[in-house]
Amino acid sequence: MVYFSQQFNYNHPWSHVVIGMWHKYPNPHCSHVVTVDVLDRTVDPRTGIIRTERMLGCKQKAPIWVVKLFGGSEDAYVREISFVDPSTQTTSITSVNLSLSQFATCYEQIHYLPSPTNPSTQTVFRQTAEIQARMAIWRSMSDRVENWLAERFEQNALRGKLGFSDVLRSLWDGKEQPHSAHS
Amino acid sequence: MAHSLSPECTPLKQEYDTCFNAWFEGYLQPVVAATPELRAEQTAAKTEEYNQKCGKIWESYRDCVQQRAVKAKGLEDLLGEARKENPLTKPPPPPPADAET
Repeated sequence: MVYFSQQFNYNHPWSHVVIGMWHKYPNPHCSHVVTVDVLDRTVDPRTGIIRTERMLGCKQKAPIWVVKLFGGSEDAYVREISFVDPSTQTTSITSVNLSLSQFATCYEQIHYLPSPTNPSTQTVFRQTAEIQARMAIWRSMSDRVENWLAERFEQNALRGKLGFSDVLRSLWDGKEQPHSAHS
Repeated sequence: MAHSLSPECTPLKQEYDTCFNAWFEGYLQPVVAATPELRAEQTAAKTEEYNQKCGKIWESYRDCVQQRAVKAKGLEDLLGEARKENPLTKPPPPPPADAET
């Protein structure tokens, strides 16, 4: 697993950052995000928490070996769930890749909180990401490779036996004296 | 404003986004500033306002995305699995206080 984390401040109050969140895309710095759709959104009348489920459509060229190994295309999709809680002034955003998720997952978490030192003018941004290959899949893939190799080996061994039998037959057939019976 | 995955849904999406953003800006600041007693009342009223103002366009946009983007692109299964594996119905715990700052 690969772990990534960073933290820094934005020089804007929390509410401005959270309003800005919905205006982030399209963005020339993040041109790989081409579409954004809201799949689900609820506003809890009791807590005031807004939960939003979005799907981001990305276009990013994958390295050729990834495409060859896993198939896949330039189109990738990400599921993103955010919670905006105005009463505690917390925002969390969790993102997980949908595409190629059978092979590996990238689980990203972002939090926006008012800065403890300058709560009315600064917002802390915290980001963590866990990138993990699905070991079960690698194992089943290595099993498959092993089985394929073993089958190949068996086939080749059989071919070798047949081939060498032919060679021996053509070399010696008719020339060998039946000696064992009379000796 | 970002486009929808399905170009046919983009006009609905932009109309919905405009409605939500306008409501959200009016929602956030008063609720943040309110006292806890006032907040509950305000939250309930604002939620009602959101449903009234954006409810209809939301339903049209949501149905469009479901049919023309999620289903049409064959993303139902991937989404279904992701939701099953991690429903995320509650906010995740806040991050541990970082000593670096």
